Parts: sequence; C-alpha cells; structure tokens
Amino acid sequence: MNDVTELLDDLREAVAGQAAPAPAVRRRLARVEDPAAVRRAGRVLAGLPAATPDLRPVSLAVLATCTIGPFEHLLRAALVATGVQPALHLGDYGTFDLTLAAGELAGSPDVVTCLLDERYFLPREWSATDPDGLAAHLEDRFADLRGLLLASLRRTPAALVLHTVPVPARLRESVISWRARAAVGRAWHRLNADLLGLAGEHGRITVVDLAGELADHAVAARDDRLHAYADLPYTDGALLVLARQVARVVAARSGLSRKVLALDLDNTLWGGVLGEAGVAGLQLGGLYPGNCYQDLQRTARRLREQGVILVLASKNDAEPVDEALAGHPEMLLRQQDFAVRAVNWSAKAENLRDAAETLNLGVQAFVFMDDSPFERGHVAAELPDVAVVAADGDPANLVRSLLRPGWFDVPELTDTDLRRPELYRSRALRTDFSTGFASSEDYLGALRTRVAAHPVTTFEVGRVAQLSARTNQFNLTGRRFDEGATTAMSTDPAHLVVSFAVSDRFGDEGIVGAAWVECRGRIWWVLNMVLSCRVFGRGVEFAIVDWIVRRARENGATALVGRYVPTNRNGVADGFWEKAGFTPSGEDGTYTVVPATAPTCLPTWITYLDTDDD
Amino acid sequence: MTDIDDTATVVLNTLCDVLKEPVDDLRARPVLAVHDWDSLASLEVLSQLESRLAVTLDLRAYHAARTVTDLIDLVATTAATNAAIGRRG
Repeated sequence: MNDVTELLDDLREAVAGQAAPAPAVRRRLARVEDPAAVRRAGRVLAGLPAATPDLRPVSLAVLATCTIGPFEHLLRAALVATGVQPALHLGDYGTFDLTLAAGELAGSPDVVTCLLDERYFLPREWSATDPDGLAAHLEDRFADLRGLLLASLRRTPAALVLHTVPVPARLRESVISWRARAAVGRAWHRLNADLLGLAGEHGRITVVDLAGELADHAVAARDDRLHAYADLPYTDGALLVLARQVARVVAARSGLSRKVLALDLDNTLWGGVLGEAGVAGLQLGGLYPGNCYQDLQRTARRLREQGVILVLASKNDAEPVDEALAGHPEMLLRQQDFAVRAVNWSAKAENLRDAAETLNLGVQAFVFMDDSPFERGHVAAELPDVAVVAADGDPANLVRSLLRPGWFDVPELTDTDLRRPELYRSRALRTDFSTGFASSEDYLGALRTRVAAHPVTTFEVGRVAQLSARTNQFNLTGRRFDEGATTAMSTDPAHLVVSFAVSDRFGDEGIVGAAWVECRGRIWWVLNMVLSCRVFGRGVEFAIVDWIVRRARENGATALVGRYVPTNRNGVADGFWEKAGFTPSGEDGTYTVVPATAPTCLPTWITYLDTDDD
Repeated sequence: MTDIDDTATVVLNTLCDVLKEPVDDLRARPVLAVHDWDSLASLEVLSQLESRLAVTLDLRAYHAARTVTDLIDLVATTAATNAAIGRRG
C-alpha cells in the first residue's frame, strides 16, 4: 500500500468514525505534494460532521471570478490539515460582483476567500501598442474591486482573503517590443502591489502573495486547456499552493498558531557535537555549512523578536552549553534568549512536557526541531500534538524546513506578541520569587498585582480578538468573537466589551483578559469571558467578574447572568461562577447574581488601577 | 497483467471513486450518462486519470467518450502514444 492510499484510508476511517483525523494524520496530509491526491482527500473529508471535536469550526465562503472547481476540495483538505473544520459556502458561478455588492453572504461566514483570475482585470480587447491604455484599465478594474470589497466589509463582520494574480504569459508574450513588454509587466505588478496594499488599508483584509509563492514552487500556474473549456484558469498545483496559504490565514485567525519553538543544539543550532568537538570545534558562521546553522539562529532570533518563545531541548551537559552560548564569537542566540533551557540527559518528551508546564502553555503550542529521527519519533509518539520539524539532511534547508509550514503565523503582531518572550522570562523569575513565603496569600500580596479595566478601545480590539481566538482553557462559553464582532459590540450601547490588563512588581503583563457582555435592559448577560493562562492562579478572574458586577450595579441592572459551557479544554473554569458568588439558575449552565447585594469577590491582594470607565 | 488491464483497472477505480458506484454497476451499465456524469464529475475523473497515469488527454476525444470502454480505450491509446513518443525521443 503506498503512502497516499494509506493516508486516504486513515482519512476514510476518521470520517466513518465521525472524528477528526489524528494530528499525525493531519500533518501527513499537510505534506502531500500531489494535488490530485489532496483533491481526493478533500472529497473524503467532505463527509466529516459539521462539529468535530479537536477541530476548530470555521464558516468560510468562497467567491470567485472564475469556476471554483477543485479549489473546494483542495481548500477543505488544507484547512483540515491545519486543524480547522470548515463549513464551506461556494458562491454561484458568475455572481462575484453581485454577491460583494449586495453583501448577502450565505452561511454568515467568518471568512470570505476570493479566487481571482486575470480575465477579471483585463479588457476583452487591448492594443499591444498602447501599454499605457492597458495600465489605465487595470487601475480602473482594481478601483472597482476595491470599492466592492470595502462596501462589503461594511455589511459583514467576516474577514476577506484575497491573492495576487500571476502575470499571464500570453499577455506578456503578445507584446513583441521589450520596452512595451516591460511596461505591461510593470502595470501588472502594480496591480498586484495595489492588491497587497489592501491589507494595509483594512484590518479585516488579508492578501496572499500567490504570484510570489508560485515563483518558489515547481508547478505551472495555468492550465490553458481547462481555462478555455471550463473557466478553470489555474492548475491544481497552483490552487493547492493558494489553498494552503488561505488555510494558514484561517488557522492564524482561529488562534491555531504555535507560540513556542523548542530547538535542539548539536547539528541543529550549530554543526557538530559539542561533547566531541568542543566549543572551538563547532561549525557556526563563516563558510558552508557553518553559515547555514548561523542562518537558523538568525531566523530563530527573528521569530523571537515577533513574540515566539524559544526553548532549548538538548541532550548535553549544561556547563559546556552555557560556555558555548556565552562565549562562541559567532553565536547569535545567547542564554537569555531562551525562556526555558532544558539541557540534560532526560527524554526530550519529558523535558518538553516540563517546559510546557513551566510556561503554563499546552504542548499543542510547541514546535520541536531536531536532527535526530529517534528524538523526533519519540516526541511524536509521546506528544502527538507537538509539531515536529526535521533538521537532518542538508543544513542549507534548515531555515526553509522551519518556516515553510507557517507554524507561527498571526494576523498581525500585537504589543503583547512583541513582549511575549520577556513576559515569559518574567514568569520564570516570578517562580523563583515564590519560594520563601509562608502562604500563597503572602506571596500574592507581595506580588502587588494590579488590574486595569476599561471598555475596549480601538487600539485594543486586535489583542482582545486574539485572546478570544487563542484562549482555550479559561474560556467560559467557547464563543469566539473575532475582530469584526468585537468592534461591532464595542460601539453598540447594548453591549460592553472590557479589556483587563495586569501588572505586578515584575512587570506589565499587558491585556490578559476580556469579557463580552450584553447589557440590554435590566438583565446583563456575560456572553463570554476569557483569561490568558499566563496569569492563572492569581485570582485575576475574580477581579474581572467583580469589576463587571460593579459596573452592572452602577447602571441599575437587577441581575447579572453568566454561563459555563464545558468544552474538552476548559475544565479549569468549571465551578468558577459559584466561587465568584453566583447562584446556579434553572437553566443549564447559567448562574446569576444580584449586583445590588452581591458581596465583592475581589481578592485582597489585587487592586484596580486606572478604572476609568469612559 | 497487461498494460491495458492496468489502465482499465485505474479507469474503473477512478470512476467508482468519483461516481460513488460499485464497479459491477459500471460494468453492467457502461454508458456514462446514466450515472452522475456531469461536468464536475467528468473534470474530477480527468484530473485523477491524468495524475495517476501521467497522461494528457485530448479534451475533444475525452468528451466524445460515451461509455466506460470508450474511456479505457482513449486512455490506453494516449498512454501508448506517449510511450512511443518517449521511446523515439
């Protein structure tokens, strides 16, 4: 049985059992290069139920200026491979402009992806002697599209995903003068630059650079035969490249990005084995292959700059490793760049589990990179949710192997992303400080925790939406409000969205909690409340609910209702409402308190800071 | 097994997969139009056959194929022609 047959059988088995394919199966699917096989996989996966435990449900509309055709199957397969269960709504052929103009999108999608082709932008007839006329037409068509997209964004809270369009060869080749050919190429690249510019213009537009991606893949972009016959402009190979990019965007928006990169040292972050070659004998910097290892370090450092937490996972003696990290002149990563350094002779799976516990993150936030097939296999078997990256083979491929799957993609960087590595280092320092107190209350009092709460501002919507997407443990109802929904609620008088930031003697954690409250009439409903796992165990959740109770009381609410909906990840929040003084009401999972008489549940060791309600 | 048998097996399996029909049904009722042979299904089969057998089919001939047997013959002939061109090349 070949690999594809085996994979398809595994997918059929998952569908028959109405369960998500296992993480290892999904990662095998993500690696399949044959688009025909991925198409088949997508058709099989159409049989998955609408709600599948372990997959994040996303409603996604596909609108196209051409035939959608196989893009449906390729997109479904790519999405499931990243951990998303899509409900796909396909626009009818020939209705692209109309659907955007009317803003009537079937299925209230979370994401709308637009499949664009060159015919949408090109005039039916154009003169090869007038490249300026062609350029002007392209500009006009782009302006039309931009107008439609921005108008549709006013009618839907969905995010839009667009892509650049590769230069049509027949356009370029039908111009015989090199000067005019350059002008035509320039006009087309300007169109693509304008498309990419839309991402900077509106926070809910993401643009995938398909033209750029195709330049790096050995696949033909177009199929003239099927374009002429069925208005299918792109080859399956090109559509698979696009589908995987769109899946990365959706996964990032759904909070499925990884946060931690755990790296091996010998033959991964440097060439050679430290215990044999010594510090001076390591391959690092200079000529090949040392330059490849240094490039990987540079890449890891760049990821850290953007909020990825670095962890060392190496079987070595700690002392020579510290010596190498501190003293090697070509070393780009130093000890302080790693939030956790697991340098010992224990099993790496055990070290990664411990590191996850120290960081208070799930192992599904981890990517592990190692050159040893044994270590990778062991981690994959013990911790199937950890994404494993192979660092063996030619070291020139190290950077590409790490970056290509897009493990760490986020829609945009928030202030918290930029500060995350430091925040997690503070967490480690806080753990050290916690020794030597008679009780945990003494410790928490000495921490001097302060909570700043206020209705969410425009600048905070991105971070609050990110918390909604990414928080799985302290997530009381599992309802996720993306940027569009949060913005809409924050400006609606019948809703209140509150951000909660925490600081203590060790520093500022930034916004770590949020609550979405419906405050229509005298009864207020907490639609959801989330709290980052970074501040668990400090009573911040009680400060949040206390703040909401106070606010409800000031506004004359007669009851405040909260809800707990169990998911397979939020057991930590079970019993929260009762601990906060709420009483179970008749309805399943709802709890009530009367704000006028509710005693405070604010922990004595927490004070409010800057509780400006305006 | 001969090359034509191989081709026939791949064509039949692909048709079964896309049309969701058991192979015996296709043999008993070989006219494609009596199954769900619409434009989407025919393009899906085209893609799968071209990928699995590494052939490029002439679309005009492909759409002229009326039965399962016509399709097997077309694919086998195209594969043989490609092989001959490969040998000459």
